[in-house]
Amino acid sequence: MKTRHGLRRLLIITLLLGLGGARADGALVVVMSGASGVDSLTREEVINIFLGRFRQLPSGQAALPVDQPEDPALLADFYQRLVNKKPAEIRAYWSRLVFSGKTAPPRQAKSHEEGLKWLSDNPGAVGYMRSDARPSQLKVVFTLGP
Amino acid sequence: MSQSTRTTRGFIQGLALLWGSALIPPASGMDFSLGGFGTLGAARTSDGSAEIVRDLSQPHGVTERWSLDTDSVLGIQANLGFSPELQAVIQAVSRHHYDGTYEPEISWAFLGFTPTPAWTFRAGRLGTEFYMLSDSRLVGYSYTTVRPPVDYYGTLPFNYVDGLDVAAARPLAGGLLKGKLYAGLSREQSPWEDRQFNMSGSLLVGGYLDYLKGPWQVRLGHARVQFDNELPIDDFYSLLPAATANELRVKDHWSHFNSFGIVYDEGPLQTQLMLSKTFAEHATFEDTWAGYFILGYRVQDWTPFVGLSAAKSSPKDLNNPIPGYTDAYQAYFRTDQRTLFLGARWDFRENMALKAQVDIIRGSPDSTFLYRWETSEWDGSMNLFSLSLDFVF
Repeated sequence: MKTRHGLRRLLIITLLLGLGGARADGALVVVMSGASGVDSLTREEVINIFLGRFRQLPSGQAALPVDQPEDPALLADFYQRLVNKKPAEIRAYWSRLVFSGKTAPPRQAKSHEEGLKWLSDNPGAVGYMRSDARPSQLKVVFTLGP
Repeated sequence: MSQSTRTTRGFIQGLALLWGSALIPPASGMDFSLGGFGTLGAARTSDGSAEIVRDLSQPHGVTERWSLDTDSVLGIQANLGFSPELQAVIQAVSRHHYDGTYEPEISWAFLGFTPTPAWTFRAGRLGTEFYMLSDSRLVGYSYTTVRPPVDYYGTLPFNYVDGLDVAAARPLAGGLLKGKLYAGLSREQSPWEDRQFNMSGSLLVGGYLDYLKGPWQVRLGHARVQFDNELPIDDFYSLLPAATANELRVKDHWSHFNSFGIVYDEGPLQTQLMLSKTFAEHATFEDTWAGYFILGYRVQDWTPFVGLSAAKSSPKDLNNPIPGYTDAYQAYFRTDQRTLFLGARWDFRENMALKAQVDIIRGSPDSTFLYRWETSEWDGSMNLFSLSLDFVF
């Protein structure tokens, strides 16, 4: 009996891991509005924008990053691939900047829809999503491979 | 009224004031946010013959009994964005400070203007950024150790100034070059046994250059302070010949702080190396070399760390020494010690971390500047045990 339960648990864990893995395998894309006037960003520029080091686009206008806290797995995956940091480390990083009166963290979208609206309404807005979830009016400016 | 009643009342009044102002609904179109940070920290040492302080703004340090005074802090901050370019920030902090109470004080209150992403101007009450982390050293959640290394940061009693700063950034060679200049007047006090050194009115100016690329950050910094008041020991100076006393007086003389730092922060690996050299244009505060190195490595929610810090000062030669007096006086300001520290940070839930740390401090018996209430038993060495719960909200 014990062995059978153990096997079943192992099977479930394998399935869960497999599914999670499949989800995380897809590319993540950094996106901007089609009207942004920006064709591509470098990894360093994406880091500067999302970590608040320097929020200027190659076009000269201000970059307005937006986070997706309503999808914690996406947010975690994004920062993992961008700077290899856990969400707790990103929060610690922001607590230093916020409580020393420096840059604010990216805008925290309350929903996927709000994030999309922000991205299409603001030419300087920069967001991220899974590549299969990208609406056609948003332009890919950087791709984060698995 | 007892001191503790006064402390509690001041604390509650401060909080009420802050919450009250926070509850006034901002005009529409403004961006308003309220947040805070805090640490509940307990510490004790293995040695009752001196009390090590977190920094020189504290009148008492850690003793052989567990105490919450050294590291515990609560801060509340309101941000008001008038437009994408203009914002106001106010922060109040309650902690064990110069007068032995937890009376809240305004640590930040400024208007910030960011006309372009490359330029930021701020005016009002601003945290001092003498060294890389010194404007956020009360925010325990933001760093790995229980407290910033005392050998390095402890000699700075300056937390804020009333003044202005300007910061600029520009891409350079695939990385980012940032710089900042600041100037302001101190409004703080530093306790001196049962007296207070009034630093209010002292002029602080400084600046730094940062270069960031990938996981690397390098910083060169300079800051200086010109005290507006003498140490509260005129009774001692008046016993000395005028020429000798004048060499020791700090008023109107500059103290200089040069610093260099390298951070390498790549995924789970975090390292920091900082060095500083301070020198004074008077013979009281000793010229000091200080430095530290921290290595931390995250494994899941745990970040064990190990570090080394050291500080060594030396007295100025006096033109008019009074043997037996001036050398004993100068020794009050001496630091000569090394610390090996190790511990771990556990991010056990969102916005909270628990930390434990042991500091093994070894120094010479005349290393007394970072301690309060030393006795004749003091031999320069002690072990310090610390636990903390850090949070942000």
